[in-house]
Amino acid sequence: MKVLIVEDEKTLAYEIKAFLKKSFYLCDVAHTFRTGLEQLELNQYDFILIDLSLPDGDGLEILKRAKKSNPDAAYIIITARTNLKDRVSGLDLGADDYLAKPFYLLELQSRMQAIARRKFNITDDLLPIGEFNIDLQKRLVIHDQQKIELSRKEFDLLSYLLLHKNRVLTRVQLSEHIWGTFVKDDYDSNYIDAHIKNIRKKLNVWADTEWLETVRGVGYRIKK
Amino acid sequence: MKLSTKLTLFITGSKLVIVLLFVCALPFLVKHIASEYTNYTLLQQQKKVLNIISKNGADYYFDGDETYGSYTMLKEEFIALLPVRDDLKMDTIKDSQRLIESDTLNYRVLSVTFKDHNKNYLLEIGKTTTSINQYDKPLQRFALYVLITLIALTILIDLTFIRILIRPLAKIINSRLINRKFPFKDKQQSVDTSTTDFIYLDESLILLMNQINEAFHKEREFTSNASHELMTPISILQNKMENLLAEENLDESTSVAVVEMMKTVDRLKNITKSLLLISRIENEQFIRREEVSPLLMFNEIIEEISHRLEEKQIKISLSISADVILEGVNKDLLFQLFFNLVHNAIKFNRHEGQIEIKDRRLNDGSYEITIADTGIGIPEADLPYIFNRFKKANLEGNVGFGLGLAIVKSIALYHQIQIDVQSKINESTEFKITFSPTAKSSYREELLSVPNV
Repeated sequence: MKVLIVEDEKTLAYEIKAFLKKSFYLCDVAHTFRTGLEQLELNQYDFILIDLSLPDGDGLEILKRAKKSNPDAAYIIITARTNLKDRVSGLDLGADDYLAKPFYLLELQSRMQAIARRKFNITDDLLPIGEFNIDLQKRLVIHDQQKIELSRKEFDLLSYLLLHKNRVLTRVQLSEHIWGTFVKDDYDSNYIDAHIKNIRKKLNVWADTEWLETVRGVGYRIKK
Repeated sequence: MKLSTKLTLFITGSKLVIVLLFVCALPFLVKHIASEYTNYTLLQQQKKVLNIISKNGADYYFDGDETYGSYTMLKEEFIALLPVRDDLKMDTIKDSQRLIESDTLNYRVLSVTFKDHNKNYLLEIGKTTTSINQYDKPLQRFALYVLITLIALTILIDLTFIRILIRPLAKIINSRLINRKFPFKDKQQSVDTSTTDFIYLDESLILLMNQINEAFHKEREFTSNASHELMTPISILQNKMENLLAEENLDESTSVAVVEMMKTVDRLKNITKSLLLISRIENEQFIRREEVSPLLMFNEIIEEISHRLEEKQIKISLSISADVILEGVNKDLLFQLFFNLVHNAIKFNRHEGQIEIKDRRLNDGSYEITIADTGIGIPEADLPYIFNRFKKANLEGNVGFGLGLAIVKSIALYHQIQIDVQSKINESTEFKITFSPTAKSSYREELLSVPNV
């Protein structure tokens, strides 16, 4: 999949590119409004990530024009501008998602996955793990046709880990995903641990959960 | 005391003192004027008599007699003319007694000697002293009445004038100081007055308020800009670490170190986000149009936070009416407000403590939610400051960044929700959140349809 990153902060653009490269995305980077438009004229992209505040123009304007040259691409706005107006006008102009800086690259990737599934009509949302099947659409964990009740946050955690299987996810990455824009006053490391403990407890009744690993000092991983 | 009252009292007082002095002096004044006037009439009469004598000679009066004397019917006045020794010389006016027809009476007597045809004569004109003083009393009374009327009239005029004069002051106070909500957003219009002192006061107040506004605005702008500017470097740091952690040949100790660094960046990010949130609330960038059931919201909060309750084995009791709906609110912000309060109630509670969340309707139509814990409490001296940014009253355990209650406060202000705190050290802390029926964010009661049985 081809990705264009329009981001004036060079280091940040580089980090996004490096991360996505590992997941086999092909990335082009544009640091200005002008080069962004040029790239869009020359190439077709599957994903276009647009920073709203560019030194020589408004990212929303790029979005507007790119919609014409790259109508099939998925658009994600990445910005430090968090006001509602920008968000609404971004989504109105046809952006598929909106990520406020700072975001975890992991979060960016899973948003891209979600958009890809939606755009390319991937309906096979039943993901097998161990002796369980996870239905992302209906938000269910199934064992032998038996539904297992998980709380909303527990399910979010489990599916997030599963979507990034074989990768260690840290507690801060997980809690960011679960809490989204909610502002916390302190760092609550036990929070994720308590949820994982509950997930294990609930699933262990039916089958073992060796695939859900604790990586000491780092975080959690689903190994497959 | 009000300025107008003070001025009125002062003016009335000073007038009364002057009147009192005048009233005391009045009898003497009247007496003096009456006696002066009597002397004057006596002299006029003397002049008249002497005039006649110089024209017609003294014989005009004597008419052959040795002496001449005449008095009015009630003996109030008399006149006497008689020849005297040549060497006697008199020109006096004094009070003395005279015997007239066996009546001894007190007279003011003018005595003067004059010569006519080489003979010396004495002229005496007298007026009874009682007739001199007969007008004293009515005159005094009349003067007093006039005075009182005049004073009452001037006080009335003064009062009206003072009222008109001071009116701009009340207007300045009302429009500038009372009922003003900080920050002062509405445009300032100068008060209409011709009194330069009031114009000066009004202008100074407007200037002062503009300065306060500007300072406040700058502070908000700074917080907003600084937090925004910090977001990009935080982004870079965070993403660099993420990429670093994803490296395959990373050994365990490095991984742990990177995770620790990520935690620190996460903390930095949360502080910055908190400040940004506060500044966005203060800049009114949130919509207040949603409705929410407090019961559902607390249930959600308790579910989110249940692991912490279990961890500390805290009992929570929730009694919130199911039929109350909060309206004109921002759901996310309100969730944040209550979450932070419940979170604190757990954080600063003792092991196996209790939390009580309840509501009630007050007599004035307000709706009140109380969140009470059995925690370590807040020292009384710290109570006024707990909503300040970065203020940490309790320093035991995990105290957080010190922004939780600052966020609560700004959300409450934005929604016009009132928050009161009561605390007993080592016993309890109680937060009262009051929704007034007249505030931007209010509540209503849903009449639940009772299902047919």
